[in-house]
Parts: sequence; C-alpha cells; structure tokens
Amino acid sequence: MTRASLSGGPDGSVRAAGAVAVPTSAARSSRWRSATARRLTFGYLLLAPAALYVLLLVGAPFLFSLWLAVSDANVGEPVAHFVGLENFRSAWEMDTFWIAMRNSVVFLVVAAIFKSLLGTSLAFLLLQDFKGKKIVRGLVVIPFTLPVAISVLSWKWMYDSQFSVINWVLSRIGVIGGYGSESWPVWLGQPGLALLSCIAVNVWRTFPFSAIVLLAGFTAVPLEVLDAAKVDGCSFFQRFRNIVVPMIFPILMIGFLFDTVFTLSDLSVVYLLTQGGPGNASKILPVLAYQIGIQAGNLGRGAAIALFLVPLLLPAMILVLRNIKRREW
Amino acid sequence: MSDTPHTLTERPATSRRHFLRASGTGLAGASLLTMLDAKKAPAQIKGTTLRILQWSHFIPAYDAWFDNKFAKEWGDKNGVKVRVDHIPHLELPARMAAEYAAGAGHDIIMNGSSILTRLYYKSLLDISDVYEKIGKERGGWIPSAGPLVTVEGRQYGFPMFYILLPMLYRKDLFDANNLKAPDTWELARVAARTLKAKGHPTGIQFSQCADANLNWRSLLFSFGGAEADASGNNILIDSKETREALKFAKALFDEGMTPEVFSWDDASDNRFLASGVGCWIHDAISAYRTTEDTNPNVFKNTMIGLEPAGPGGKRVSTSAANVYMVWKFSKNQQAAKEFLTHFGLEFKEGMVQSRGYNMPYLLGDAKKPMPVIGADPKMSILQEFPPMVAFYGYPGPFTTPIQEVVNLFVLPDMFTRVARGQNIEEVMKWGVGEYRRIFSKHKTA
Repeated sequence: MTRASLSGGPDGSVRAAGAVAVPTSAARSSRWRSATARRLTFGYLLLAPAALYVLLLVGAPFLFSLWLAVSDANVGEPVAHFVGLENFRSAWEMDTFWIAMRNSVVFLVVAAIFKSLLGTSLAFLLLQDFKGKKIVRGLVVIPFTLPVAISVLSWKWMYDSQFSVINWVLSRIGVIGGYGSESWPVWLGQPGLALLSCIAVNVWRTFPFSAIVLLAGFTAVPLEVLDAAKVDGCSFFQRFRNIVVPMIFPILMIGFLFDTVFTLSDLSVVYLLTQGGPGNASKILPVLAYQIGIQAGNLGRGAAIALFLVPLLLPAMILVLRNIKRREW
Repeated sequence: MSDTPHTLTERPATSRRHFLRASGTGLAGASLLTMLDAKKAPAQIKGTTLRILQWSHFIPAYDAWFDNKFAKEWGDKNGVKVRVDHIPHLELPARMAAEYAAGAGHDIIMNGSSILTRLYYKSLLDISDVYEKIGKERGGWIPSAGPLVTVEGRQYGFPMFYILLPMLYRKDLFDANNLKAPDTWELARVAARTLKAKGHPTGIQFSQCADANLNWRSLLFSFGGAEADASGNNILIDSKETREALKFAKALFDEGMTPEVFSWDDASDNRFLASGVGCWIHDAISAYRTTEDTNPNVFKNTMIGLEPAGPGGKRVSTSAANVYMVWKFSKNQQAAKEFLTHFGLEFKEGMVQSRGYNMPYLLGDAKKPMPVIGADPKMSILQEFPPMVAFYGYPGPFTTPIQEVVNLFVLPDMFTRVARGQNIEEVMKWGVGEYRRIFSKHKTA
C-alpha cells in the first residue's frame, strides 16, 4: 500500500507527475504493442526454420500427393488432368485393394501387440544392473540400425523353402519332418504364414526402438516414488499400472505414434520378402501403391491408394495428441 | 481483323518448324549413314560424356566386359567419356520415373522385362533412324522386336537382347526311369509325376515374381491361349484354352510339385536345380550356369530342351525383353545414338561375354551357328528358339494395360489360385474381371 492510498488520494508530487508523465491510452497501447510485437516477432523468427522445414518437406509433398490422387497423372505424361474422385472409386472397386487394406490392418495390430510386449520386456531387462549392460544396450539396437535391405535379405534366406535354417533347426530337434515332408513349413509360400513371417521381420527390426523409447521413460520415473509404493505394499504390476504408465504416458503415446507410422508405411519388408504374394496374401497398401503408382506408372491411382493410409493413421494421431494435451493441463 | 478461319490450304507449304525438323532429321540421318560407312562417330561428340544406366547382369563377367572394355574402348576411340551405372533390374522402373520427374539423369536408360516405351514415349528420343539402319545392316529384326519399341509407327527404343527360359532337365533321372525328354508339356507332367515319387519333384513359381509372369505365359500361349489381339485393345484371356492351361497347371502342381513353389522368387529354381533335387525347371540359362559353377555333377547331367509343345503342338516361348532408350532431355543425344549403333553392330561379342545368355533380336546375329550356344552341343538347341519367341501381351504388343496386368501379377495369381484349390470358373471370373478393369481404366484415360 502506498502513502497516497492510505491518505485517501494522490499527493501533490504524484498529481504533478501524473499531469506531466502519465501516458495516454494510445501511447500505452503502442508501447505494449511494440514490446509484444518484438517478442512475437522474435518467437516467430525462431519458429520459422522449423515451420519452413515442415512446410517444404511434409506439407508440399502431401499437397502434391493430394493433387496426384485427384488427377490422371501418369509417369510418362507431362500434363495431368483433374478427374475428381475417380482414382479413389477405382481403388474401391479393386478386389486386391480390400485384401491389401485388411492385411495392412492385421499387420499393424499384430505388430503393435508384439512390439509392445517385447519392447516392454526388453526395456525392463535393460533396466536391471548386470555386467556388460552398456554393450548389451548397444547391441539390441542393431536390428533397427542395419540397412533394411541387408537384414531383410538375411531373413529371406532364413525363410528359404529349401535351405531355411529355421526349418533345419526345427527338423533336427524333431518338431517338424525333413525337407519335402508335409510338416515342412514354407514360410513365404503359405498365405497365413507369409503375412506372419513379414510381421515377424518388422517386429524384429523395430521392437528395439520401442524398448529404447520405454527405457528412456522408465529412467525418468523417480526411484523415491517407486520405493514409496513398494513400502506401501504395491506389487510389480500395480506399480507399473498406477505409477509408471501414468508418469511416462506422453512418451508412450509418442512412441506409439511413431511406431504406427513406421509400421503402416513399411514397404521394404513385404516387398523384399514376398512382393505381396503368394496370390496377394501378404500384400499391404504401400506395396500395392508402389506397384500401381511406380511400376505400372499410374501415379494418380498409386497416390489415391497411398492416401487410404491417412484414414487409418488419422484416428490414432488424434487420439494420441488429444490425450497428451489433456494431460498437459 | 479477318473472320475467315485459317485452313490447311492457307498455311505455308513449309513452316519454320517443319523446315527445322526436316533438316535436323536429314542431318542426323546423313551423319548416321556416314558413320555407318566409316564405322566411326563424327567429331562433334568429342569431349562429351555419355551416361548409361542398366541392370546388374546375371552374368557378372558381362558387366565387367561391358564397362571396362566395350564401352571404354568405344569412348576412347571417339573421345567420349562413358560412364555406366548398374542397379538391380527391379529398381529400373522407379529410377526411370525419378529421372523423368527430374528431367535429368542418364542419357541411355535400360528397361528390363517391364518395357515402358508406351508410357514414356513422349519423353523419349525417336531413334527410328538407328533402328532402321541397324535392322537393314544386320538382316532385319525378329517379328516380336518391333512392338516392344514402336509407338505410332516410330521407334523410341533399341532392342538390346532377350532372355530365353527353356526347359532344363536332368537327363540321368529321365533315362533311369525310361522317361522321354520333356518335349511337350504332357511329357513334362508325366516326368514330374514319376520323379516326384522318387524325391525329385519339379517346380515353377506360383508367386509374384518375374519368372512366374514369364513361365505361366509360355504354358498358356503354348496351349493356344492369348492375352490381347494384335491391336492390343481387346482382351482374349477369357477362352477355353486358358481354362485348359489352368487345369493342366493344377494337375502339374498336384502331381509333380511341393508347396515350396508358392514362396519362390526368380533365383529359387536355380538353387532347386543346382541342389540336385529338381528333375526339371523352366528357367533362364543363368540356372544352367549356376549349376555349372556350384554342382558339376548335376551340371554334367543337365540338358536344355526346346520350349515344350502344348496339346496342339504349338510352342511359344515367353521371353524377358530388354531395351535401351534415350531420353529426350539427354544433352548428348548424338553420342547416345552412335553408341547404340555400335552396340547393334557388335552384338555378337556381347553374346560371347554373356556366355550365351543374351539372345539376339537381329536376324543376322541369330543365324546358325550363334556364338557360344552354336558351339556347345547342349546349348545349341537354343538356336531354334527365335521363331517361337513372344513377349507379354501375346499375340498383341506390350501395351500399358498389359504392363499393369504384369506388374500386378494377375496371370500368375490366376494360376496360384487354381493350384491352391480354387474353382477354375471362379478364378476365371476374378482374372478376367481384373483384365477388364485394367483395360477399361486405360481406355477411359
């Protein structure tokens, strides 16, 4: 409280100062505006490179693919014409499109389940103290860091119908018969097995990523909180569900988002292993889009098929981002 | 301002554009003729760089010879720096799309198996002059060569070579079981049935790979089936012959194969033969060469057979075509044309270096005895193939709808579905539906 307020009004000096120095509302607003504007300009300047990067590398190609999807663009034609939703309609009418759509969903869900289970288990294992922990932590990311072509071609050999090392081991331990017998699995040749084999390679390649993301989250949980819960008698699963998961939820969600995008857009594994065969049994949307868009040259229809991935991805993205935002408040 | 519309008669007899085009063609033709006579390229290409993109050949020694000797020597002789890049054949269409979009890249680009002339011809250099001159010089082209590179009467590509897929069979196993050589598909089936019981099944890819596209077409066409008519516009797949071929393939699978064929890629049958298990395969001679290099005992007993005849005695060998193209955006079109001329004139050396893998489109080069294969008693049968060679879309040309049919593996999928036990009529309904959908889409476009 000032003396002026105590005495019931401004003293003479203040009055005088007021008469001379109190700014008008326009000046006040201009000063405020200029300070805020400066701060905002600076903020936007800092943001600009990132915004430009996103606009150029994500926004522009996305808009271009939207244009391709509604045009009759062809790899050899310099001029494309607007055809409305024709490409989407033609994809909709394709038998193979629906098989690819179904396989993409199966691929995504099954891979996500296995990656969560294996990633969580691996993250917990890597949390423990043991000799050579740092080396092991380095080694587990190898599948993720290896060039996809090399690792997938190695798997192709392991799945070979005649020289499969997996079958050889299974045969030696008596689980299956010898080469040529009924029980000899043809990993990439039986419809159900072909898709599962592709999923297995995708899981093998990317579950270390899930583990690393989770590990980063786990190490951020304060030990005191966990110790206190332990003292209160919480079991391992209670601690995990009621303490760890809520605390690392934003990290979990970001990991889930990345994983969904990586899995749905994974063209290489299926293309290199089966090209979508046998008889489209392992065909997924990215492979179909590539075959129609690039190999057969119909950019418009290829883009339309690829854009069908957006409705699959969008709900997951909205769900994740909304959850994260809600928790921030 | 006159309201009278311009008519053709009012236009000058020779426009500036016509004059430039005619004089350019004349100059190019004249320099080509001079060059053909002198067997030497003109001086204006000196100091330039020619960039070539092609596949990694299945016979690696061919690439070594092509890059370090053939192209280099031509370059040294003509003062042109030649750079040859190799990528896997399956990546060629994507690379072509990328170069087209960028409007930059190599001067000469190869198409392997999937021939994209009709898709890109507006962006490709018209090399009809080279095509015609080399054809004249070397005794003409085999009939199936033209449709691969011709659009609206002009040639936008240069046929390089094609790859045959003959029968490769184990003579020792056939003789030991009193089986006749697989000269017909029926004899091949009998052999497969007999030898599968003795641990030596056969195999053809029931999967989505290039060999599956080629092999099942050979069977279908030899059974009298067809994909499209000579115009390439009308589908002929819905026929009694297609049904017969599907029925035969189902029997061949049930009696003579194991389910592993559903997982095979282009190299699986090579390994299958080389391992000593397979009694016969229908594949390129790279399988024969692989066996020679990895299992001499099996190789000693492996014979090459003529394309098996269908029930009516017809033999059609669907082969993998390979074509060179020159981009219109190429800054070194003249050198590209001259290199192709040199390639066409010296084709026989390529046959030698590829150990008989590269087959000639030019009749002069197809005369007996052909290099390598003419001198090898086991391979000499390959000299009988040129008249029965066909490509995708037979008897029609390799059009863009056929290209999509091929890239989506519609035909191998029809055979796969039948082998897996699906009813033939249901499969026909699906397959014909796919052909019609693809053709009608292209017609609309």
